[in-house]
Amino acid sequence: MESLWDAGDAWRTVREVHDVLARDRDIAYTTVMTVLDRMARKDLVEREREGRAWRYRPSQSRGAMTAEVMRQALGEFAEEANARDRAAALVAFVGEATDADRQALRDALAALERRSRA
Amino acid sequence: MTTLVLAALAVLLAGPVPWLMTRLHGFRRTPRAAMVLWQAVALAGVLSALGAGLSLVTVQLVGEQSVRSYALSAIPLSLTGLVLARLLLSGHRVGTGLRQLRRRHRHLVDLLAEDHDGVHVLEHEAPTAYCVPGLRSRVVVSSGTVSSLTDRQLAAVLSHEQAHVRARHDLVLEGFTVLQEAFPRVVTSKQALAEVQLLVEVLADRAARRRQGAHALVSAFSALLDGGLVQAPEGAVAATGSDLQVRIGLLLDDHRHRVQAGVLLLLAAGVLVLPTLLVVLPWLQGLAG
Repeated sequence: MESLWDAGDAWRTVREVHDVLARDRDIAYTTVMTVLDRMARKDLVEREREGRAWRYRPSQSRGAMTAEVMRQALGEFAEEANARDRAAALVAFVGEATDADRQALRDALAALERRSRA
Repeated sequence: MTTLVLAALAVLLAGPVPWLMTRLHGFRRTPRAAMVLWQAVALAGVLSALGAGLSLVTVQLVGEQSVRSYALSAIPLSLTGLVLARLLLSGHRVGTGLRQLRRRHRHLVDLLAEDHDGVHVLEHEAPTAYCVPGLRSRVVVSSGTVSSLTDRQLAAVLSHEQAHVRARHDLVLEGFTVLQEAFPRVVTSKQALAEVQLLVEVLADRAARRRQGAHALVSAFSALLDGGLVQAPEGAVAATGSDLQVRIGLLLDDHRHRVQAGVLLLLAAGVLVLPTLLVVLPWLQGLAG
């Protein structure tokens, strides 16, 4: 995947991806083909046919994908998911906080520290 | 008679009982028992609603049968079918929707995050920590989280998330989401979902406290919030205090509340067993006899 990202928006064939990867490590051509095929089915890469071969490119840049993950993690996709409230697609450690929450946290920490000293 | 009792029970369990349960905040001090009771009440409510319909059907069909009795039995039968169909449809929609979102998210996490002994670290400065539940679950933290927490705090956060994953809290939440989507106009179904969401967090907090202590967890909250975790708009959270404040309060509570836990578990058993013994068994015996 890194090697596709390095190529930016350009289309790469399996052969080209394999050539790049094979410089650093021993990897079979068929492995690259299988992995790319699997990633295409997961919509992580796009592909188009050129003659008898597939050509691949990333569906989004690495930054865009990270942004998507973070957006989902921070709960914004609750709305996308048809107002399925904060429903349990992901379970976040702590959602959002108000100033009152912060005050409560400070009080609790003070109480815990008093307790451990007593 | 059977019908009346079951229908009354269904109405009680769909309305006043959960309404009361969301107001008895003391229940949260025994989150496990409270969770069992919530599930028992929801299950008993659905079963008595279905049972009420079915018993009406049998009342019409036992004894002398005529076109009229068939016609009369068709009404409750179709109503029962409607309730069941709504539940199944909602279950299907919620289930496939959630699984699709999670699958996509898991693919992205696998691609982008580095796996450190089962913890997926995502390169991003905004602190976040969460789990993607399911059979192939993932615990994800951002590099911002790792850098802003001490080892102990990070361990507390991770045991919180691992508790969600291990106890399959997502399944409980999914069940109550299904109820809420199937019967959105039953106001209590929304409150029930919110309360169960809170209980799940309290349970995971307890697991983290057992392993790393309350101080590690509370200071981890604090560090993550200072690191710029989403700021909620003021007023977005109910005046009675946010979930986070409730969770902090409960983390300071060291008592075990065994008596309350016992009472809640007994109530949970009662709400499932008593209607079965008192109403459903005599009705079935009546049918057989």
